[in-house]
Amino acid sequence: MYGKINTTVGPALISSTYLLCIWCFYLNPQVMAQILKDMGITDYEPRVINQMLEFAFRYVTTILDDAKIYSSHAKKPNVDADDVRLAIQCRADQSFTSPPPRDFLLDIARQKNQTPLPLIKPYAGPRLPPDRYCLTAPNYRLKSLIKKGPNQGRLVPRLSVGAVSSRPTTPTIVPATTAVQNVLINPSMMGSKNILITTNMASSQNTTNESNPLKRRHDDDDDDNDIM
Amino acid sequence: KPEGTANAATPQAGNGAGESDGGTTNNGPNGGSEKRCERASSVSRDGETPKPVIAVSTVVPARAAPVPAAVPEVSAPHDRQTLLAVLQFLRQSNLREAEEALRREARLLEEAVAGSGAPGEADGTGAEAASALLSRVTASAPGPAAPDPPSTGASGVVTVSGSASGTAAPGKVGSVAVEDQPDVSAVLSAYNQQGDPAMYEEYYSGLKHFIECSLDCHRAELSQLFYPLFVHMYLELVYNQHENEAKSFFEKFHGDQECYYQDDLRVLSSLTKKEHMKGNETMLDFRTSKFVLRISRDSYQLLKRHLQEKQNNQIWNIVQEHLYIDIFDGMPRSKQQIDAMVGSLAGEAKREANKSKVFFGLLKEPEIEVPLDDEDEEGENEEGKPKKKKPKKDSIGSKSKKQDPNAPPQNRIPLPELKDSDKLDKIMNMKETTKRVRLGPDCLPSICFYTFLNAYQGLTAVDVTDDSSLIAGGFADSTVRVWSVTPKKLRSVKQAADLSLIDKESDDVLERIMDEKTASELKILYGHSGPVYGASFSPDRNYLLSSSEDGTVRLWSLQTFTCLVGYKGHNYPVWDTQFSPYGYYFVSGGHDRVARLWATDHYQPLRIFAGHLADVNCTRFHPNSNYVATGSADRTVRLWDVLNGNCVRIFTGHKGPIHSLTFSPNGRFLATGATDGRVLLWDIGHGLMVGELKGHTDTVCSLRFSRDGEILASGSMDNTVRLWDAIKAFEDLETDDFTTATGHINLPENSQELLLGTYMTKSTPVVHLHFTRRNLVLAAGAYSPQ
Repeated sequence: MYGKINTTVGPALISSTYLLCIWCFYLNPQVMAQILKDMGITDYEPRVINQMLEFAFRYVTTILDDAKIYSSHAKKPNVDADDVRLAIQCRADQSFTSPPPRDFLLDIARQKNQTPLPLIKPYAGPRLPPDRYCLTAPNYRLKSLIKKGPNQGRLVPRLSVGAVSSRPTTPTIVPATTAVQNVLINPSMMGSKNILITTNMASSQNTTNESNPLKRRHDDDDDDNDIM
Repeated sequence: KPEGTANAATPQAGNGAGESDGGTTNNGPNGGSEKRCERASSVSRDGETPKPVIAVSTVVPARAAPVPAAVPEVSAPHDRQTLLAVLQFLRQSNLREAEEALRREARLLEEAVAGSGAPGEADGTGAEAASALLSRVTASAPGPAAPDPPSTGASGVVTVSGSASGTAAPGKVGSVAVEDQPDVSAVLSAYNQQGDPAMYEEYYSGLKHFIECSLDCHRAELSQLFYPLFVHMYLELVYNQHENEAKSFFEKFHGDQECYYQDDLRVLSSLTKKEHMKGNETMLDFRTSKFVLRISRDSYQLLKRHLQEKQNNQIWNIVQEHLYIDIFDGMPRSKQQIDAMVGSLAGEAKREANKSKVFFGLLKEPEIEVPLDDEDEEGENEEGKPKKKKPKKDSIGSKSKKQDPNAPPQNRIPLPELKDSDKLDKIMNMKETTKRVRLGPDCLPSICFYTFLNAYQGLTAVDVTDDSSLIAGGFADSTVRVWSVTPKKLRSVKQAADLSLIDKESDDVLERIMDEKTASELKILYGHSGPVYGASFSPDRNYLLSSSEDGTVRLWSLQTFTCLVGYKGHNYPVWDTQFSPYGYYFVSGGHDRVARLWATDHYQPLRIFAGHLADVNCTRFHPNSNYVATGSADRTVRLWDVLNGNCVRIFTGHKGPIHSLTFSPNGRFLATGATDGRVLLWDIGHGLMVGELKGHTDTVCSLRFSRDGEILASGSMDNTVRLWDAIKAFEDLETDDFTTATGHINLPENSQELLLGTYMTKSTPVVHLHFTRRNLVLAAGAYSPQ
């Protein structure tokens, strides 16, 4: 087994460790301090050098690992400059992205700026985007218990995770089948709108209507704004 | 219809190609002009004026004539250039259909000629150029993607912004070229190279010699050429992969540049290969935009005469390609005047960029019925009523019925209506206003400093509410902390179950909904995943915005102290955010070089303000909420119109990235502070610099005018707060026709007189300044012991 490794991976391994040794010779604190000085950075904590060295080492090893893979894929005996170049290019597209170019920005700006500013509806209460774009939905789901408890007659909303359930048009209330014990509706986690929608039932409707201190009028089609 | 004409066009190209092997010269130009006529007819069928296209068709044969045009593809690339120019014209004249038809055809044409990366053709040169051109065509035919190969000995050939970079350009050209700001030729020329790389040093030295030998009065103006030419020539060498020439060019000339460009030069020195440029968007933008220089006509004539001599043609072409020279009639400027205005990455601002009308007046305050109580009997909306005991204040009394001509119409942009709670706030505001201290050189405000201890250099943003009741701090550990400044603690709203139990009709229902058990002086808001660089309270104190390095802007409720919305749009650190003075809108600016205008109920931005060459560091609303000012790392300040996203003002003059901005309360002036330690004052209406306040020795990171605009307070990283006399600074402005036309202002050296006081802290940089409604100064910073 070892023999097999040596014949296939061996030469690539040797050449890459050779490269690594060369690099390690140069990756020392003095060199890093000199680099910082050349870039005009004079004011830095001493730990910065360590972090930079760590980054440099990690980057180099990642690139060389990738280069090894590429060269073995191309069935070459050694890792050569082309492999390293390819590795750098692929990594650059992944981790070091840069902001969009100016012409693109000008283009989308022109498109965006052509639409007139939307009119503001009066009496709208807290002006927030549709619920699916807010972070006001509950991010937990309560599991139903198997045995049906004594809380049958009480308010039993069925809450589920995330934005799906917060659509006002699809109230997923199934009161009778699943009995949920000890429902803790934490209004601070949900906007009042959500309480309004998911607990769309007789018992708690009045309370939730008033829960909004700004006394917003209940408006079901608020979310159907044509924002898109 | 367009398809029909397109089909007609391509066989012609094919025919031209077929016959060109025979070497006949006639078919090329004729083929070209025939194509043109086809296009003209298609345009006329659309019912648009065929004029521009016909003009082109007459031009094309004339230009194509000197070129042997053995291959019609040769005429095609400069067709492309004229095509783009025509497209741009059609777009500007709103001839949409014609433009679309032309664009569609142009795409097909480009595909037909895509294979041959033929360069553009020479401007009126002789047969020698033509043969050189021919050799270029054959030489570059197999390698379409390669940039210009070094000139084949015929160094007299000048390629005038042809798309020589072959296939790299066409894909981009269709979408890129026709846009408002950069010129067509500028975009194309970004990929081209002028002349021989080895000669660049000589060109530059020659120009340097000429300028240094010119008359004193012209020398200062012409010296503005050095920096942009140096950078552009260097970048061209790097982009075209002449690394050694680039290095020696840099070594030789970087010491000659002005001191305030040193930071840029340091960045440039690390850019030695073409791959390095790829990640640096700022440098790429610099390459494709034209550096603006403002030179008097006399100096310009001198320069032009010198450069148009035969041996200097190269550098003249480089100048034409990369620089935009804004000529004005009048006296040449002195070095001092020039130094005050230059420094930005884009040069100065063109005079016409600052000419559009800006509504800098304030919106009329709404009339509010003040309930008369025994304390004060002000009936504030009855102007004639002599019941007032206190002197009238500008905002409420003596309101003239006619509209301020400089104020925007009330409904220019939609603004939210006033709620009852807002009206109560306004009444409170007016009551406080009456107790406001009148500041002046002999009555300086007291400064109350809030020091954040144990922040370990993690305090990255601070904001204070307008009524000075809450302070928010954004930290590098991604938390936002809210403190109550007054003894009243912070409470959150009760749970739903408890809310159902309260009496909704009672007078103090707003107190009863608050849960006493949650009372505390500090509330911590968790949610961001990176340092929080910007914070802003809403005017009604219901919301807090925070912007972070994770690319999002979060809206927090100050009644439940939870996060409501995360606005995603910038995918890069967002350096600053601010609510509009009327609420509902907010602006954010970040690393992606744009500022975005949002409304709280839209998950996407409403406006995108693009134009800066580097990160947008600072964003502020004008008091009338119709304009947004942005300060950037490219050392310019831009003023944007909220209504249509246009840039209405560009202010240059800072020598470092701008970190603070503030509008004066009357809306007429803007104060900006940057890393160069200077505070600059700008008149928005005229678009001119009106003052320069020197004194700080480090970055000015916070600025604020007093409530009535009498005093400007500036806080800096040099651990001081300085107070400046704003009334005196804006007092005597020369706004005669000359200065408005040319933009020259002689700034008096009066920083010392304007400085009213310097207040030192014990090693605490002043991150935020705030004037309370009674004109007390609150300052905030984190103690950072050194």
